[in-house]
Amino acid sequence: MTDISRRTYLKSVGGTGVALSVAGCSSILGGGSAGTIVPGTASGFPPFEFVNEQGELVGFDVDLLTAVVDETDYELGEWSDLNFDTLITALQNDQIDTIAAAMTITEGRDETIDFTDPYYDANQAVLVRENSDFRPSGTGDLADRPIGAQSGTTGESEMQALVEEGVVSESQTTAYENYVLAVQDLVNGNVDAVIVDTPVAETFVADRPVVSAFTIETGEQYGFGVRTNDDDRQQALNEGLQAVMDDGTYEELTRKWFASE
Amino acid sequence: MDATLLPLQAETDWAFVWRQRQFFVEGTWIAVQLTFFSIVLGFLLGLPAGVAEAYGGRYSKGVVRPVGVALRGTPILVIIAITYFAVGVSPVFLAATVALGLRSAAYQSQIFRGAIESVSGGQMEAARAVGLSKLEAIRHVVLPQALRRSVPGFQNEFTIVLKDTSIAYAIGVAELLKRSSDLYSIRTSAALEVFLAASAIYFVLTFTVNRGIEAVHRHVAIPGGETQ
Repeated sequence: MTDISRRTYLKSVGGTGVALSVAGCSSILGGGSAGTIVPGTASGFPPFEFVNEQGELVGFDVDLLTAVVDETDYELGEWSDLNFDTLITALQNDQIDTIAAAMTITEGRDETIDFTDPYYDANQAVLVRENSDFRPSGTGDLADRPIGAQSGTTGESEMQALVEEGVVSESQTTAYENYVLAVQDLVNGNVDAVIVDTPVAETFVADRPVVSAFTIETGEQYGFGVRTNDDDRQQALNEGLQAVMDDGTYEELTRKWFASE
Repeated sequence: MDATLLPLQAETDWAFVWRQRQFFVEGTWIAVQLTFFSIVLGFLLGLPAGVAEAYGGRYSKGVVRPVGVALRGTPILVIIAITYFAVGVSPVFLAATVALGLRSAAYQSQIFRGAIESVSGGQMEAARAVGLSKLEAIRHVVLPQALRRSVPGFQNEFTIVLKDTSIAYAIGVAELLKRSSDLYSIRTSAALEVFLAASAIYFVLTFTVNRGIEAVHRHVAIPGGETQ
């Protein structure tokens, strides 16, 4: 299927979806859906978003977006907890209004959706087993080693870059459904390194027998995702973000969720 | 860092699984509900579709067949994604039920068609000869026999639907597999234990229900065995 026909198809089918979901919303809320921001995330990415022992969705992104929306005229809708890969589709099809999922602002993603101003800086860490002699100090040292990352993430892009550079072959790379499984496979010895966002890598280093060997300086920034034509929500979120950064709420949340740093 | 992220290391991973059993209970309950509603929806659509394929005219067959072929030939992940993202069925539980129910209807129609076609043509002729209309003959003579013969196939379908409810994870329904992944995100070393526990629950569910359906089958079996 070509790109154009696929887009036209999604547009025509999506139109029905919009009508249905708007009808669905208004019947529940008893009003239009204007004035709400329905957030979507992908849990399993502590400390940014995960489900705690009480079964509640919590984390830095959850608290931050809640505080940001509080500063706007919008109301925060109910969180959707989806797969990371499907978040952009859900946003484009109006199932959610914003993505709060430690999503890196990349050129590729920027072509299909828009982002708010960045709210967090990160790089990619390369995790290896604690009890092994393998201690790479740069991407070159990963030559001919099996490596892994979470599918759909910047880590996977970095992994693909290594394939294109000829450092590792395609068959030596594995993309996992989520980081926990990637790190489990690392611990089990099926891969020798896992590429993961630095803040999340720290959580694993604290919990599992793994160490961070070196960092790939990607200089990436996380932003909240919004639809390209949704300038109102984008602007409101940007203003809200500025407000929580100015009044110290942002600092407070960083201390709460990244205290181990 | 949040205290829940650093569980006491003295506790074994199995003890953690047991302490968090509420996660499995909630996830199992959602999986059971999803299975129930999907099977019921599949039956309500699949039985008429099976009858239409066995006895239908050109038009009813012309509609039912291609729809069935399309649904059976599409991966369930694609069906659920179209239902939720493209068609926009909401909330997610309803979207998952519709997707699983439609797919099950497509499979169930073939179970019922096969069972109906296994009832010999002489039964229909005899029923018509004593004055029943075609519809009455189907309802009172063919279907009672066909439904009994469809039990083993239906048993299989039940198992498939139960295990496929895990696909609802993709759109965030908090069924058993989603709850399991929530759990090993809290305690990353317990991934294997959590998966084994979830598998055990799926096994107990399928085993119990299969035994139940077998009992029903024995109870409703046609005395004297297969009539031809």
